[in-house]
Amino acid sequence: MACSSSGHCRAKHSTDMVSTLYLSQQAPSILDRRLTSKSSVQPLTIPGCEHLEEQETVEKLFVACLQTGDDKSALLCFEHLTQCFGLSNERVTGLRGLYEEAIAEDDTGLENCLQKYNKLLQENPVNVPILKRRVALLRSMSRIADAIAALIEFIDAIPTDAEAWCELADLYQSQGMSSQAIFCLEEALLIAPNAWNILAQLGEVLYITASSQEAETARKLLGRSISLFCRSIELCDDYLRGFYGLVLVSSTLLNSSDGPLHNSFNASVGDTPSKDHLKRLHAFARKKLWDILKSRLSLSQQEYGCSEGDLIAARELLDRLGDSK
Amino acid sequence: MALQGVEQTILRDPALFYWILFPISIVMILTGILRHYATVLMNTPPKPPSSLAESRERLSLFRGVNLRNHACAVLPKESFEMRKNYLVNAYQAGAFLKDPESRGQPPPNPMTDPAGMDAMMGMMKGNMMMMIPQTLIMSWINAFFSGFVILRLPFPLTIRFKSMLQSGVMTRDLDVRWVSSLSWYFLNLFGLQSVFGFILGSDNAANQMAQQMGAMNPAAQANPFQPGQDPDKLYKSEAENLEVVEHFCILDGIEERILHNLAAKEGF
Repeated sequence: MACSSSGHCRAKHSTDMVSTLYLSQQAPSILDRRLTSKSSVQPLTIPGCEHLEEQETVEKLFVACLQTGDDKSALLCFEHLTQCFGLSNERVTGLRGLYEEAIAEDDTGLENCLQKYNKLLQENPVNVPILKRRVALLRSMSRIADAIAALIEFIDAIPTDAEAWCELADLYQSQGMSSQAIFCLEEALLIAPNAWNILAQLGEVLYITASSQEAETARKLLGRSISLFCRSIELCDDYLRGFYGLVLVSSTLLNSSDGPLHNSFNASVGDTPSKDHLKRLHAFARKKLWDILKSRLSLSQQEYGCSEGDLIAARELLDRLGDSK
Repeated sequence: MALQGVEQTILRDPALFYWILFPISIVMILTGILRHYATVLMNTPPKPPSSLAESRERLSLFRGVNLRNHACAVLPKESFEMRKNYLVNAYQAGAFLKDPESRGQPPPNPMTDPAGMDAMMGMMKGNMMMMIPQTLIMSWINAFFSGFVILRLPFPLTIRFKSMLQSGVMTRDLDVRWVSSLSWYFLNLFGLQSVFGFILGSDNAANQMAQQMGAMNPAAQANPFQPGQDPDKLYKSEAENLEVVEHFCILDGIEERILHNLAAKEGF
């Protein structure tokens, strides 16, 4: 599913709102096209039901409409999907839950949704979309502990769902339980070993964890973090987040070697790269980050495929390091 | 043996070509397409698990497989050892089984087990879909066209191909290049994969190879267990596989690699 947890997605992708808005503004035209074709071309079948890709488009459109508050178009999308698959389809029930959550006005509305989910789960305990919605709903009702417990139960039954592992990692991270978050991200990576965004995310979590650790452990964590960012760069050319992390972590490591951590730096730890390598990596990443920033700033919002916030953060980091030539 | 160096000539009515070669080929292609659509129609999707415990029993096996295949891409040594020990112990203790009490008992008879029955029916339908048209077409060819020599290959072949190209024609001295009608059927049967791939798309149901391979795709709801198979045994063998995995990590020395491969291009 594109967006298993609306609250989570909203928080995380808030910087992407511009592109989401752009997408959802196209909703009326797409839906119009579909409505006209319904009356004229194919009277026997419901139009668009034959192609799976089209269903996925409609589903994404539905989520985008909900995110931007265009509930009317969202309802149209949902009705279209219902026509194709029927109300009892698992995925459709999940989307319906999403819609009801979105239009719920207060906590009692959300509570009602939760009751409904519980009832649905009694009928079919392995309704995956509903299980996920329930976790997301618990989270958006800020019952984090319940959400974690529900998600653990879900993962115990379906341990091959990378999305669920990532969500669990995010939940743990929000509670400051870093080692659990790291474990979860590692599990997600075992399922999708080449996902460069998860690699970078794990690198970020390691970096955050390192800031609250003893010198020796911190050094180890930062070393791992660097290698993960390197891997994400290796997998995806010009990956902004990867280069950003590499610049940040390598500068932290280099600074710490001048400061109080100097002793542990000299004692050669196997996990961390040597100082010479580190310096070269740092310079390389800084240059690349600057190049990416320059090339993306000249593009328009829809083209460069990453959010404005990332660019601003990258710019700020470079400014701080005194690199804005 | 035929006389060496002398071209064998057989006077054939060109009508043989139009009334045997073409019909056989066209019928084979059409049955292939028909079978594809019949399979699509009759195909029942695999039954989703009915309880959380069942889903766990099915999917936990993939966890071990994932660890085995992907650990080298992600995990440092201690995380890997930790996961390995956990999974090996859990697999051997049967912690993921649906009902741990029935461990070690012989698997239920697939004929009486309703879940097994479904899967058996599915397999039988698939087999029937293959066998019935083949039997029909082959008897059709045997009844009408047996013994016809319909084609002469434009290139020479060794004597070993005789049984492949001239089934149904019991002539010892005939040159191997002549192809009989029954053999043309067999050649079509095995040689039309690419034609079906062209017409129906690459993952078509007429593709016999795919059917023979058996469906085991690691999709989210896939069931790794064939009917009548004991999950406990599969878990035990997976535990053995895990035990012998040696740890290595492609993240070791990645900084040097990046510097060597990527940074060198930029002039660092």
